[in-house]
Amino acid sequence: MKTMEGGRLGENTGIREELIRKACSLALKAHKAASDNKLFVVEKSRGSAEVIFCFGGSWSVGDWFTKKPFGETKISLDLFPSLRSIGNDQIAVVNEAFLKKFQLILESTTLRNEVEKAVTGKMQIVFTGHSSGGPLAILTTIWFLEKYLRAENNQIQPLCMTFGSALVGDRIFSHAINRENWSSHFVHFIMRSDIVPRIFLCPLSSIERELQPILNFFHKKSTYFNQEPEIKPHQALSFFSMVLRNASSVTSHAACKYMECTNLLLEKLTNFIELSPYRPFGTNVFCTKNGRLIVLKNPDAVFQMLFYSLQLSSESEGKEFAQRSLMEHFEYQIELEESLGMQDMVHLDGVEGIPLFSNRGAASELATSNIALNDLGLSTTARLCVRAAGELEKQKLRNQDKIDGSSKRKIKEAINLLEKYHMDCELRKTSYYDAFKLQKNKDDFEANVKRQELAGYWDEVLSLLKTYQLPDEFECREEWVELGTRYRRLVEPLDIANYYRHSLNENTGPYMGTGRPARYKYTQRWREHALNLPLKSSLESCFWAEVEELCQGKFEEMKERVLHLEGEISKWVCDKEIGMDVFSEGSTFVKWWRTLPYEHRIGSRVARFIDC
Amino acid sequence: MQKSKSIIITGHSVGGTTASLVSLWLLSYLQQTSISSPLSILCITFGSPLLGNESLSRAILHKKWSGNFCHVVLGNDIVPRLLFAPLESFTSQLHFLLQYWQMSMASPHFAELNTQVLAKEVKAELFLFVLAHVGESARAERSSYWPFGNYLFCSDEGEICVDNAKATVKMLRFMFRMSESGDYGIKEHVKYGDWVEKVSSRFMTRRVVEGEREYSESSYEAGLDLALQSCGISRQVSIVGEAKECLKMARRLGRTPNLNRAYLAIELSKKTPIRAQIEWYKRCCDESEDQMGYYDSFKQRGASKKHSKINMNRIKLATFWDEVIRKFDANELPHDFDKGAKWVYTSQFYKLLVEPLDIAEYYRTNMHRVKGHYVEHGRERRYHIMDKWWRAHNSNLEENNKRSKFASLTQDSCFWARLEEARDWVHDVRRERDGRKLTFLWENIHNFDNYSRRLVDRKEVSIDVLAENSSYSRWMEDLRDLKSQLHYFPQLPGFFDGGMVP
Repeated sequence: MKTMEGGRLGENTGIREELIRKACSLALKAHKAASDNKLFVVEKSRGSAEVIFCFGGSWSVGDWFTKKPFGETKISLDLFPSLRSIGNDQIAVVNEAFLKKFQLILESTTLRNEVEKAVTGKMQIVFTGHSSGGPLAILTTIWFLEKYLRAENNQIQPLCMTFGSALVGDRIFSHAINRENWSSHFVHFIMRSDIVPRIFLCPLSSIERELQPILNFFHKKSTYFNQEPEIKPHQALSFFSMVLRNASSVTSHAACKYMECTNLLLEKLTNFIELSPYRPFGTNVFCTKNGRLIVLKNPDAVFQMLFYSLQLSSESEGKEFAQRSLMEHFEYQIELEESLGMQDMVHLDGVEGIPLFSNRGAASELATSNIALNDLGLSTTARLCVRAAGELEKQKLRNQDKIDGSSKRKIKEAINLLEKYHMDCELRKTSYYDAFKLQKNKDDFEANVKRQELAGYWDEVLSLLKTYQLPDEFECREEWVELGTRYRRLVEPLDIANYYRHSLNENTGPYMGTGRPARYKYTQRWREHALNLPLKSSLESCFWAEVEELCQGKFEEMKERVLHLEGEISKWVCDKEIGMDVFSEGSTFVKWWRTLPYEHRIGSRVARFIDC
Repeated sequence: MQKSKSIIITGHSVGGTTASLVSLWLLSYLQQTSISSPLSILCITFGSPLLGNESLSRAILHKKWSGNFCHVVLGNDIVPRLLFAPLESFTSQLHFLLQYWQMSMASPHFAELNTQVLAKEVKAELFLFVLAHVGESARAERSSYWPFGNYLFCSDEGEICVDNAKATVKMLRFMFRMSESGDYGIKEHVKYGDWVEKVSSRFMTRRVVEGEREYSESSYEAGLDLALQSCGISRQVSIVGEAKECLKMARRLGRTPNLNRAYLAIELSKKTPIRAQIEWYKRCCDESEDQMGYYDSFKQRGASKKHSKINMNRIKLATFWDEVIRKFDANELPHDFDKGAKWVYTSQFYKLLVEPLDIAEYYRTNMHRVKGHYVEHGRERRYHIMDKWWRAHNSNLEENNKRSKFASLTQDSCFWARLEEARDWVHDVRRERDGRKLTFLWENIHNFDNYSRRLVDRKEVSIDVLAENSSYSRWMEDLRDLKSQLHYFPQLPGFFDGGMVP
C-alpha cells in the first residue's frame, strides 16, 4: 500500500489550512443564524478571494427523518440530472428531509443570486456545514456542479467541507459523484467517536424514543453554546448501542458483499433486517483526538470504519463512550486547531494492504499506518473488512483491464468485419438491413454469427456494469462511449432484422417494447449522458424498428408517427448517423414508403432521397 | 400470511425439526400458489436433531431454499449429532436424557440440581458411540441423515456459518471432539438461552485476537484463522490443520459468481456459430424438396456429413447448458441468475430449437421401447429447469394474440414427443379389443388432436410441422383413414358414436 505520511493536510488536499479553520468556525456559527431563520450565511472577507456559504442545522426529528425506516427518497433528476447510474438507470436515493430543506433554500432565499455573484466575480466558492447543516452544503455543492460545471461548462472549482455531517445519499449517489469525478470537491471531517455521521445507519424505529432528547441536546449545545446540557446517561447509552448495533448489521452485510460471499442466507436476511441505504462518499478525514488526521478516499473503507472505530474495548466502557460520542460532535474546532498545526497526517490509499495486526510492523514502512489504525481502534476483523473494500476496488480495475484488453480488441475486430459487410451491401446497392433479414447468402450467415459473438462481448461488459464491478467512471470514458455508439449504429439494425425475421414481435411485442437488448439501451444512454442530450433522444439505431411497426398499420392512423420519423430521418442523414443504403431500391423502408398516399409523398421531407 | 411480509419459524431441540418441516411445507405451498411470493420465510432452529437424508438436502439446495434455514449448534451439544448413530441400543438412556432436557427447560435450576441424570460412564459411552459415528460419516461423506441449510456453530469465542453440507458434517465432528473431557455434550443442549444473551451484545466490543504472532498477513489465511478462533478450535492443535482444510472447502474458492456470469456471456457467444448452424440446417430441411421438415429429416437421416455435424452441435450445446445448470446449482453463479432476461430468453430459444432434435434422436434410437416415452421418461433435467425459468419470467404475461404467420420455432418444444405418443395410440387402437382401454385411447387421441389443431390454428407451430411428409401430416392422414374405416365397418371396436369418442 501507499501511505503518505506526515505533511500537512493542506498540502495534500490543496486546501489552505486557514480556510479549513475558517470554514469550521463559520459552520458552527451558522447554527445560531439558522435558529433565527436565516437559512444560510455568506461570508466574504474584504480582500480575500473566497466566498464561504454556511448552512446551519435544524433539530426536530422531522428535520432528520421524514418517515420510517430511513426517511429516504429518490432524488429529483430535474435538479440533479447526474445523480443516477447511467446504464443501469438507477436513481440515487437521498434523505428526504435534507432534500426538501435544500429545495426550500433554493426557492425561497437569495442563494442563487449570491452564487451567481460569486461566479461572476471569479471567486473561490466554498460550501460548508456542521451536523445537519452538512447535508445542505453537500446538496448545494452538487447543484452547483450540475449547473455550472456540467451544464454551462464553467471551469470554476467549488469546494465543500463538512464537519460531523450526517450521511445524505446512497451508494448510487456515491457512484455518480465518483463517476463525474467530483469526489475531490468534497472533504468530510469526522471525529473518531462522533455519533452523528453514524445516525443514519440506524432506522428511525430503533431510536424513536431517544432521538428527540438527543437532538434537543445538540440544539442547546450548538445554538446557545450551553456547556452542560442535560442528557441522561442511560438514554445516551441506549442511543449509542442502537446506532452501533444497526451500524454493525449494515457494515457487516456490505463487507460480505465485498468479499462476494455466496451464502443465500445473506440475501434472505435482508427481508428481516432493515439495512440503511446511506453510504459515505468523497474524501473523508478522520480526526483521532491526538492530533492525527487520517485521510481516506475509498468510500467503502470509510463505511467500514464508521462502524469499527466506534467499537469498545470492553462493555464496561459503554456509558462513558456513549457520552463521549455526543460530546465529540462539538469538538471539531478545537481538534482541528490542534491537528492542523501538527505535521501528522496519514493518507491511507490502497487500503487492501493495511497491516492486519495492531502490534506488528513497528519497524516496517507500515508503522505509520498501523499507528493510525490503532488510533481508530480497528481490530483485526475491522482491518479485514477494510482490506476487502480495497480489494474490491482493485478487482474492479482488474476487470476493466480485461475489458480494455482482449474484449475491446475482439469487439473492434468483429465490428470491422461487419463494417465490411455493410460496405459490400452498399456496393451491391442493396440495403444492409434487408440483405441481412433475407439471410440468403453465406456472408449473411457469417454476419449473423458475428452479430451474436459481439452480443457476447457486450453482455460481458454489461454483466459487470449491472453489479457495479467496473470502476465508477467507466461509463464516462470517451473511448467506450464512442465504441458503443459505433457498435449500436452498425449492429442494432441487424438485431432488429433478426427480430422481425423471426416474427418475435408476435411473441413478445414490438422490438422497442421488451425486445430491445440491454446492450443498445446502455450504449445509447452513455452517449446521451456524455453529450448532455435529453434522455431517449438518440434513437437513430432503432430506425428500422419504427419502420417495421409502421409497415403493419394504416397511414391515416399513424400520420403523426410517420411525419415524426421522416423529420428524424432527414436529420440523421444530414448528421450521417444512418447510411444511404436505407434508400436502396427494394429496401423495406422504400417499399413501405411507396405505399403511402401520393399527396403525402410529394410533400415529404425524405422524397429527395428516393427515386420516384 | 395475509398481513405479514415475513415469517420466522423457530424451535429448540425436537421442536427444531418441526419448525423445519413447517417451513418446508410453507415454502412448497407458496411455490405452488404463487410463483413469486412476496412473503419471506426464515427458519431458525436451536440444537435441532437432523431431519432428512441427502436427497432432501440436495432438493433444498436445488430449490435455492438453503438460505431459508439457519440451524444454531452450540459447542458440543450432542443432539444435532445423535442421528448419525444407530441408537437402538441406547433407547432407555435416551429416554432419561429427553426427560432431563425437558425438565431443565421447564425449570432453569433443574440442570444444576440434577447433574447425575446418568452415570458418568454411561454418558461417556454414549458420547464415544456417537462420536465414532459422526467421525465415520464425516470421513465417508455419507450417512442416512444429512444436514441441509446453514449451520451456525457457536462457541465462547464467536460463531461461524457454514452452508456446505459436507463441511457441516466435518465441523459437527471437530466441534464435538474437542471437549471430550467436558460434560459429554448433554448440558450444552439447554444453554441456548444464555448464548443468545451473550451474542446479542457482541457487536459492542472489539474482538481480541489471541496469539497474534502465529497469524499470517494474508487476508485469506487470517480470515481462516479468525474463523477457527470463532469456533474455539484454534487451541486444539491436533485438529487445527484438518479444520482449516474443511473451512477452505466450505469457502469455495475460484472466480466469484458475478464474474462467472460475465465470463459465461463470452462462453455463450462462442457457442453461437454452432447454434446458428442448426438454425441454418432447420431452414434447409424446411425448404427441402422431400418435404419432411426439420424433425423428420433429422430423425430419418442417413449417414451424411451434414447430419452428423448437426448431431455433434446438438451434443455440444447440451454439454454447455448442463454445465450452466451445474454451476447454478452449485451456487457458482449469482442466485438471481435465472431472473436475468438474457439467460431466460437464450435458454428458451435453445430449448425450442434443439429439443425437437433430442426427441428425434430418442425415437430414432428406439429409446422409448427401453425407457418409455420421452415426456415422462426421457426428458433431460435441463429442459425442465428451462421451463421453470421461462414460466417464472412470463408469469404475468397474458396470452398472446394470434399470430399472423407461423412461428419460426414450434412454441411447445415437446410437440414432437407428444406426437410420437399419439402415433402409438393410433397404432394401438387398431388392435385393442378391451372396451375400457379403447375409450381411454380414443380420449387421448382426441385430446392430442384438439391440442395440435389449436396450436396449428394459432400458428404456434413452425412450418415443418405442416410439411407434406412430416410425421404430423402422416399422423393426420392415419387418423382420417382410421376414422373412415370405422365409418365403413361400424362393427369394429371403437366406433365413435358419442359414447366412446368424446
